[in-house]
Amino acid sequence: MRPGIEAVVTLERVSKTYGDVVALDDVSLAFPRGRFVAVMGPSGSGKSTLLQAAAALEPPTSGEITICGVEVTRMSETRRTEWRRKHLGYVFQSYNLLPTVTVEDNVTLPLRMAGVRPDRAWLGQLIDRMGLRDRMRHLPTELSGGQQQRAAIVRALAARPDVVFADEPTGALDLRSAAHVLDLLRELVDDLGQTVVMVTHDPAAAARAHDTVVMADGRVLDVLPAPTAEDLAVRLARLSGERVA
Amino acid sequence: MIRLALALAKAGGLVVVFAAVLGGMALVTGTGVLVDSAFRAQPPLRLSGADVLVSARQSIPLKEEPDIALPERARIPGSLVASASEVPGVAAVAGDLAFPAAVGSGTAGRTADPATAGHGWSSLALSGRITAGRAPRAADEIAVRGARVGDRLRLTAAGTPGTYRVSAVVDAPGVYFTDAVATALAARTAGRAGTVDLVAVRAAPGVSPETLAARLKAGLGDGYEYATGRDRADAESPGAAAGRGLLLVLPSSIGGISLLVVGFVVGGGLALSVNRQRRDLALLRAAGATPRQVRRLVAVQAAAAALPAVPFGAALGYFLAARFGELLAGIGLVRADQPLVYGPLPAVAAALLLLAVTRVAAWAGSLRVSRMPVVSGLPEPRTPSPGRTRAGLLLMLAALGLSVTPLAVRSEAGMIGPGIASIVAVIGLALAGPRLVQGVARALAGSRLMTRLPGPLWLAVHNSHGYALRTAGAVAALGMVVTLGLSVVLTQTTMAKARSDEVALGLRGLVTITAPGLGGVPRDLLADVRSRTEAAGMAMTTVVTEPMLTGDDPGLMARPAMALGPDAEGLVDLDLADGRLSGLKGAAVAVEEGLGRVGRSMDVIMGDGARVRARVAATYRRGLGFGPIVVSRDLAAAHTTTGLDSAVLARPADFGDLARRPGLRFDSRAAGPQAAMASAQTLVNVAVLAVLLGYVLVAVANRLVATTTARREEFAGLRAIGLTRRQLRRVVRWEALLVGAAASVSGLVLSAVPLVLLSVGFLARPLPAGPLWLVPASILAVMTIVSLAMELPARKIMT
Ligand SMILES: Nc1ncnc2c1ncn2[C@@H]1O[C@H](COP(=O)(O)OP(=O)(O)OP(=O)(O)O)[C@@H](O)[C@H]1O
Ligand SMILES: [Mg+2]
Repeated sequence: MRPGIEAVVTLERVSKTYGDVVALDDVSLAFPRGRFVAVMGPSGSGKSTLLQAAAALEPPTSGEITICGVEVTRMSETRRTEWRRKHLGYVFQSYNLLPTVTVEDNVTLPLRMAGVRPDRAWLGQLIDRMGLRDRMRHLPTELSGGQQQRAAIVRALAARPDVVFADEPTGALDLRSAAHVLDLLRELVDDLGQTVVMVTHDPAAAARAHDTVVMADGRVLDVLPAPTAEDLAVRLARLSGERVA
Repeated sequence: MIRLALALAKAGGLVVVFAAVLGGMALVTGTGVLVDSAFRAQPPLRLSGADVLVSARQSIPLKEEPDIALPERARIPGSLVASASEVPGVAAVAGDLAFPAAVGSGTAGRTADPATAGHGWSSLALSGRITAGRAPRAADEIAVRGARVGDRLRLTAAGTPGTYRVSAVVDAPGVYFTDAVATALAARTAGRAGTVDLVAVRAAPGVSPETLAARLKAGLGDGYEYATGRDRADAESPGAAAGRGLLLVLPSSIGGISLLVVGFVVGGGLALSVNRQRRDLALLRAAGATPRQVRRLVAVQAAAAALPAVPFGAALGYFLAARFGELLAGIGLVRADQPLVYGPLPAVAAALLLLAVTRVAAWAGSLRVSRMPVVSGLPEPRTPSPGRTRAGLLLMLAALGLSVTPLAVRSEAGMIGPGIASIVAVIGLALAGPRLVQGVARALAGSRLMTRLPGPLWLAVHNSHGYALRTAGAVAALGMVVTLGLSVVLTQTTMAKARSDEVALGLRGLVTITAPGLGGVPRDLLADVRSRTEAAGMAMTTVVTEPMLTGDDPGLMARPAMALGPDAEGLVDLDLADGRLSGLKGAAVAVEEGLGRVGRSMDVIMGDGARVRARVAATYRRGLGFGPIVVSRDLAAAHTTTGLDSAVLARPADFGDLARRPGLRFDSRAAGPQAAMASAQTLVNVAVLAVLLGYVLVAVANRLVATTTARREEFAGLRAIGLTRRQLRRVVRWEALLVGAAASVSGLVLSAVPLVLLSVGFLARPLPAGPLWLVPASILAVMTIVSLAMELPARKIMT
């Protein structure tokens, strides 16, 4: 994206088709370390597909994806999962917490599966940051939506990943909780040097990011450095209009 | 409505309903065929030329229950033949006799039962035609099928061997002697002179069988039976009629259980199907559908799944019935020549029944969903009430109490406790299962060990806890399979061993000589054996008595009984409590200790319906092996069809040329009267149980497949947070293992207690008799089913 800054994840001519739907059309993109990147675009433009491809959740139809210097599309499924577990965190719109185990167990589940001892100090710091200290022994269903999403963020960060992907992390939250979660994400980037890539429909949310990737019809239209919310709103409105026309 | 119902339906749920109805159809149709056959089967009729058969009453009518069929032939006066010929409308009359006749070798004269193969020549007028030669005239002439005129055949007729010349070839089964010889042979038994078995009557042209029967009845009196149509076969062979009664008794004893199981399985399938669409149904309600409409929708779905299952299930049912019929014939419970009837009625009845069950299950299953308030959205799955759990635990405790009986009662009655115990325990398990599974899983999940477990196992334990209700049904059902399978089979084998051990003790040091192909032991054999060694004759018959044991029918009950004579004294050891076997002369019986006192008399109905007042000559303790009553050989000889002994019991000796006499069999181990019936019952019980448990297994597997398939999103979520495919597979494998282990352990525990107590009581050792490999086999079966039903679909939906 910017020469000179190390890229954590790079997509090289990546395409993804579902039947005859082209969800990603020859996308090349790099996510630089330590930046907060927002992904925006009309519904169906391929944002989720992009994120899932970049996070090696869904293998692309063609193209190459490099995560922390290693090309992952040709890895075996197991190796890729292990690599992803080590270097990436993912935050889902619907939290994706296991209802059967406590928040604490949820947060450490990926580490447990990787057979890695949790770094207690780091976890403690995250838990405090997310304000979940007294909720850890509860079941996820006993938490509010905002709390659940913050727990999911702790989980995504527990393994000290190089990058965290978040697909509409505030989509299911009310305005106040959403703002809180966004602030926390931004703090992670500013205070801890974390790399965060976030899909959002909210121009105000995107305005808190360093860069905004604008997508339409499976292609990256633009990468806007530090746009204002108004710029983005206009831009998106025009895009939706074009699509209708 | 139908389109919407089908669009909403989740395939997984409906497949479960389909399979449940399919299996249920098969079970109900199969048992229906047996019942239908009992009413309508048309065994081959020998006297097919007769329109009416006059016979003695071969059954004891009961008020509330089916009549007791009498398997031994009761005779009627020969004078009836002459009286019948004077009745107007009679074209031909024959007095029919049937007595044992067996051709030494070859197929000449072969019939299904050598005990009733011999007849007089006059019977042929109503059973067949002569195809070559001329009627037998001399005493050593016979007519048979499948031989050539002039052949000389060695025959054992009415227990007497001899050589006969074939004077005629006929087209009917059996061996035909001159009437004089037949009368002499049939009358060898005391009190049979001047009697016939049947009076066979042919109607004159234009006279219907029913009219003729009515006229005969008016002429001969009410004391006889006048059989027309298909009833003639029963009159001709009362043993077959008695056997067919079994066709009625067997399905009615298991029919209740199988209906119950079918109801549970179909109901469970529909509950699962409804559960999977809770969300959609809730949305429908929110969109303005009335509760009635929701219920109708579920009913339409249920019908859509059930209807296609009906024809396939019916076909499977006919197939199962045919196999079951073969099994029954194979163990001699029904005669091979008495085929089952495959009419449409059982399938129609089963279809109506299953569709009704489905309808009710759909209504019950959709009641809660259809009634829930629109705003509340998704209803939580029902949590089991504490009352239900408590009732279940109480039932399991009660089962333990019931299984203590064998320690106190060492007789047939002793096994009733453990038998009921396992069923009570299974119901208890079904009730308390969810809470139990939850509790055990919670204890596991909370234990300190957990943190050290590998990730997938850790997650599997937590899932088992969190989703306890999802798996508890499967655990309870599989536990039921293990419990019922082990306890029913091993109870029977343990009892069989206890019986045969007693018989072995009672007949210790004796050789049993039988002649299964001759219809009874030849008359001269006993004297022959006695000239070489000590020996006693033994017969098997059926007696009808008032209830003797706990668990007997409260009215009259037919049971097999052994017949011994005074010569058994000192040979057969019944472990006498009082009296002597030498008193078994004339109208005498011996009974199990506690059922009578020596010197008193008791009323017994013999197998041919004769009521006798018999003196109790002895009481004995080996009732388990020899049954509660032993009758005198004199009684048996006078009241059995053949009048012959079933076996000769002898001290081992050099039997010389006897050992080579054709048709004889020498056994050093003998079976008691209970053994044959018990082993047949065991086989039948096991076969039926196997089908039933197989049905439950398939249904459980089906439900597990459906629940696993419904976990697609859950699995995707786990994959997304970093589980490798292998780890996910391991999670599922561990979960399957936990479900299988829980089912096996609960099944083993619930069956082990009654079985150990039963074995201690009857065999004086803790281990039941065997096939003990059933234990690992049932565990393996449960484990395999669970693993397949969970891992295969899990693999398929993993992306
Ligand atoms: N599993 C799938 N199978 C078939 N088509 C799919 C699948 N996933 C996505 N698509 C299609 O790919 C295109 C891009 O989908 P994607 O989910 O990436 O859009 P999006 O930008 O995330 O939209 P939204 O803002 O609504 O979440 C869409 O046309 C969608 O219909
Ligand atoms: Mg999306």
